[in-house]
Amino acid sequence: MQSLVKMIIMVALLLFVSPLLEGVLRKFKALVHSRLGPPLLQPYWDILKLLGKDDVRSPHAFLGPLPAFLGLAAILAAGLLVPLGNSAPFASGDLFLFLYLIGFASVCVMLAGMDSGSPYGFLGTAREMMTSFVVEPVLFIALITVAIKTRNFRFSDMAAWQQISGTSLSTIISGLALFLGIQAQLSKLPFDIPEAEGELMGGTFAEMSGPTFALYRWGFIAKQVIFSMILAQLFFPWPLGLVGLWAVVAQIVKVVLIVVLVGLIDVVNPRLRIDQALIYYFGVILMAIVGLVFALVGA
Amino acid sequence: MTKQEILSLLKAKLGTGFIAHTEPIPDQLWVEVKPQASVQAVELLHRTTKARYLVSVGSDERELKKRFGVYHLFSFDKEHFFVTIDVSADPHKPVLPSITNVLAGANWSEREIRDLLGVQFEGHPDPRRLVLADDWPNEVYPLRRDFDYSSKPPSNPENAYPFKDNPPNTTVVAMGPYFPVFEEATYFRLYVEGEKVVDVDYRGFYAHRGIEKLGDASLTYNQIPFIAERICGICGFVHNVSFCKLVEHAAGIKVPRRADYIRTIMLELERIHSHALWLGVAGHIIGFDTVLMQTWRMREPIMWLCEKLTGNRKTYGMNLIGGVRRDITKAQVPEVRKKIDAMDKEWQAVLDAVKDDTTLRMRLEKVGILNREQSHEWAAVGPVARAADIDMDSRKDHPYCAYDAVDFKVITADTNDVWGRTVVRILETIESFKIVRQCLDALMELPEGDIITEIRDEIPAGRIAISAVEAPRGEDVHFLLTGGDNRPYRWRVRCPTYPNLPTVQVMVKGEQVADVPIILGSIDPCFSCTERMEVADVNTGKIRVYSQEELANWTTKRS
Repeated sequence: MQSLVKMIIMVALLLFVSPLLEGVLRKFKALVHSRLGPPLLQPYWDILKLLGKDDVRSPHAFLGPLPAFLGLAAILAAGLLVPLGNSAPFASGDLFLFLYLIGFASVCVMLAGMDSGSPYGFLGTAREMMTSFVVEPVLFIALITVAIKTRNFRFSDMAAWQQISGTSLSTIISGLALFLGIQAQLSKLPFDIPEAEGELMGGTFAEMSGPTFALYRWGFIAKQVIFSMILAQLFFPWPLGLVGLWAVVAQIVKVVLIVVLVGLIDVVNPRLRIDQALIYYFGVILMAIVGLVFALVGA
Repeated sequence: MTKQEILSLLKAKLGTGFIAHTEPIPDQLWVEVKPQASVQAVELLHRTTKARYLVSVGSDERELKKRFGVYHLFSFDKEHFFVTIDVSADPHKPVLPSITNVLAGANWSEREIRDLLGVQFEGHPDPRRLVLADDWPNEVYPLRRDFDYSSKPPSNPENAYPFKDNPPNTTVVAMGPYFPVFEEATYFRLYVEGEKVVDVDYRGFYAHRGIEKLGDASLTYNQIPFIAERICGICGFVHNVSFCKLVEHAAGIKVPRRADYIRTIMLELERIHSHALWLGVAGHIIGFDTVLMQTWRMREPIMWLCEKLTGNRKTYGMNLIGGVRRDITKAQVPEVRKKIDAMDKEWQAVLDAVKDDTTLRMRLEKVGILNREQSHEWAAVGPVARAADIDMDSRKDHPYCAYDAVDFKVITADTNDVWGRTVVRILETIESFKIVRQCLDALMELPEGDIITEIRDEIPAGRIAISAVEAPRGEDVHFLLTGGDNRPYRWRVRCPTYPNLPTVQVMVKGEQVADVPIILGSIDPCFSCTERMEVADVNTGKIRVYSQEELANWTTKRS
């Protein structure tokens, strides 16, 4: 019963609080741009507006809105595994299940791009695929590093262990690698290559509109929170020794900081080309592997 | 080379093909040749003497001389004069040999003359329609003098634009006619293999305005400066000065010195805000919106300043033939200086930030290569040519207004790429600040008030003039053949984008799709100046809403 309540709280948090974080991010970007920026609640209005629109779809599409629903569901399910404070709503919080769910969510985006039948969608999908191939290993290696460090595959146990024993060299290195990976996972600049409104008019989402598009956007906004939460709780567990509600509060503060940092990188960089991004991410994979090696030797 | 040397070279090589030569105004050499000798004459100028091709002008002179005239305009930059090759075409069967095979840059000019005047060019490598809308009937030539400027030919919906065939194993990615990063309508059809652009085709000229026809048929000399200013929304003042200078040149009108300085200040203010605008747009194209927001914020005080000086943020309406309409008084000078100094300081910060930005350099370096030879072949102008290490700037080469009296450097780069064009533009802006300051000093010394020469005599007919004014995007060339009725007989505008745009097709081949927008952006394209021809078809004004089914059906049918 308790876990059910936790689950509901978690899903509600991901769906209804994460847009607020997006609003903070937008305000922050506006600050760097010397603009006023949209109201803090604008992401909510955007989603509401899109949900209320007609769903215009390419006549070639045969999957319809299916990938959008599956993708959002996968992201929310992955969110249930993530530790809130020191424990995950699903106490098991299995690392591999999480990785599969996140991978499945990106496959859904690719399916949507292919389904659109537009050349922009296809190019966007090709880019999304290439990005996934180099970014998901980063995620995988970084999480495995913590698992090796804590000798556990369950998120809640990993988080609790980190909370007690504090961070180490290996987790800091892999944490930084994961932070760089988040940038691409969330399609933030300089890695918003699959969407690239400049050359592909939204790429994978070029043909999307209305509620379907709202679901994808919502998914991205939720994903942003999920990744920040993982990063905050598993890799940077400061301040140490917090329990219960205090751990949650500290996590929220850290999540906001991480999102703002992601936003900062987003505003001070132009978009890279896909070949440049791939080379960059091979470097990040290397960095994650270094973290893994340190963990194996016990540092 | 001097004019005499060129003349003797042409005489010696062309033999009987050479007809006559004149020097209508001091900085011009006008050479009449027979049609069969025109290709050789052009080749001599373009390849042997390395003269820079400007544009070809077609003119319907059946009333005057019983012929169609085609003028190929060349510039000798370092020697400060223009050479024109004048070719006549038979009024009943106007056919001339094409010069595009020896001079790639003439491609558009010849196609345009064919579209608008009906002069055919034999052996043209790409004989497709260029300027006229797809639904215009064939055999209607709107720039002929017997075509009324308000007439509207029947639509011929059968005419479709013949795009190039797909090269094997390629897919088509359409950029345009409406595309988020292109501010105006233009269509680049990319043939891509994966991410690589194999080939490209271009269709433009979607927005026809008929400004040249209006100038020939309806407006008078003193009205045209105001419509010339509306050719372009950003470098309007350049067109305005170009036209005024043209008439002043043809009629030998002397402009007061104070007006010269005021024109120079406005021209440089225009360059400053245009380069700031360009840098912002370039940033936006590659997803760097911070640059966009910051440069446009810096540009705003300059726009306010322009409003204070002229009454308008843009499209100043400052020029008349003979001078300017508003003085910049001594009381206004300190404020201009303050705004310029403030922007100068901020611009230095931009320069530092851009110079050290590695990600930015990754995106811009070694992209969109156009080397010195290609640049000469396609007659590229402005920052595109200067980034290919060609030292050309009409402010130095064909001095006008007060540019003979101010001190500035012509910025060049030898990287041949988008990065070079960026650097050239940023450094050029700093030179502009210098020029404005010098002009302000001069304004403090000259007596106030004397800003326009009154013109009492009619502008004589049959005079010829060429003016080259350096716009922010490159050199803007106007050609004028004066006529009776207080209006031009033939007025031709060649904006800087006109020679630069075809070079994009050279630059994008072999590059990635992701680089195409910034390569196009790097020439600072201005489609409104380029697409400046023809009487637009006025739509019926009916509005109809399409249902979802209709749209879906329409999409399926088309694809």
